[in-house]
Amino acid sequence: MGAIDDLAAELSKLPGIGRKTALRLTYHLLKRTPEQSKRLASALTTLAEKVRPCPQCFNLTEEDLCSICRDARRDTGVICAVEEASDIGAIERSGEFRGVYHVLGGRLSPLDGIGPEDLTIPQLETRVSAGVVREVIIATNPSIEGETTALYVQRKLARYPLTVSRIARGLPVGGDLEYADGVTIAQALTARRAMS
Amino acid sequence: MPLLATEAIVLHAFDYLESSRIIRLLTREAGVQSALARGARKSRGRYGTALDLFAEGSAQLYVKPNRELHNLASFEISRTRGELAEDIGRFTAASTIAELALRFAGEADNPQLYDTIADVLDRIARSAPERTIEDGLAGCWRVVSVLGFTPELSSCALCHTPLRDSDDTTFSHSSGGIVCPACSKLAPGGRRIPSAARAAIRHWLEGDDSVHLIDAEARSHQRLLREFLGAHLADDRPLRAFAVWEHERWSAA
Repeated sequence: MGAIDDLAAELSKLPGIGRKTALRLTYHLLKRTPEQSKRLASALTTLAEKVRPCPQCFNLTEEDLCSICRDARRDTGVICAVEEASDIGAIERSGEFRGVYHVLGGRLSPLDGIGPEDLTIPQLETRVSAGVVREVIIATNPSIEGETTALYVQRKLARYPLTVSRIARGLPVGGDLEYADGVTIAQALTARRAMS
Repeated sequence: MPLLATEAIVLHAFDYLESSRIIRLLTREAGVQSALARGARKSRGRYGTALDLFAEGSAQLYVKPNRELHNLASFEISRTRGELAEDIGRFTAASTIAELALRFAGEADNPQLYDTIADVLDRIARSAPERTIEDGLAGCWRVVSVLGFTPELSSCALCHTPLRDSDDTTFSHSSGGIVCPACSKLAPGGRRIPSAARAAIRHWLEGDDSVHLIDAEARSHQRLLREFLGAHLADDRPLRAFAVWEHERWSAA
């Protein structure tokens, strides 16, 4: 039973998977053909061996640079700083941003022991200090921790001749004002803009 | 599953699975409780922006007996504390207060602790950037006091001899407060504190946060508080938020 226990133990380390689910998945894999299990093992091996952070923006990539950093059509003068690599996909889906990214690797959280030294803020400074960057858009989550992280980054970049901006907050498109909470409405009112 | 309806403050929140969040709440009726907030990360989730750190409101929890994680049914927000994100000193001080509550409050009902934490967070949220350490110190000592560990500051903690306010004294963590010169020999490891420092702690315990400290004094107070927590409250785990606040590691920005 060593192999079964070993796999169940590894699976139970994944988020949202407890001991019972891990065992259920293990027995499910045993019902599949050996080829199917080998393909899964191979995919995991490839993932572990090939996927790594882009040395420039810390997006995930299998190449020397990620596809966005390699894309000559992107505007390298505008950097959008996000918390996680998964946030890049959300912004890319909007189709509105043609600049490049910088993945901070999380957000400041004293309670979780995550400080600036755990994020890629120095690397962002290094990119900015090259002098090409005109604007850094800070797109951390609109939470207390995300806002504090944005404030910290903004202060770190204050000595460079560039614009530091923060993504706007407000009502979601398609939402009903009636059902929006007071905090969101207040922020939407604060960030209102003139119509022309 | 019994329903617990209570006032609550969000002290810690972390993402869980695709769209949910696990939150740790300080409740008025049941101390610190953990709850799963399903779909809380969705922009149109049922909690809206309510479940942000340090927010306060009316929570309804489906309590699972003999379990540590309950289900959050609703959270009706009454107070956000977005001002805490407008200054890094405020944020680290508030995180330290949250850490004290999370680590030492337990699950017993303690309305006084709830009211104290709410008031302390409000004060820190209003704190001027140059006063966040004083307000954080004041808040920490008030929380320590409500948790039942008020230091003795008027008379010797060992022989109970009254000591003059003007005297510089020895603060003995193991004895629980100041000690007279004679007893200080029985309480090794004490720290000399000036009368002004003793007065400052007394003011803070009384809710008076008008004390002004120079930088070196603030550092000494933080060190004294850390040692006191270590002697009376802390388990073996490090106080991470306290360490960030004490060393101001983030203020170099």
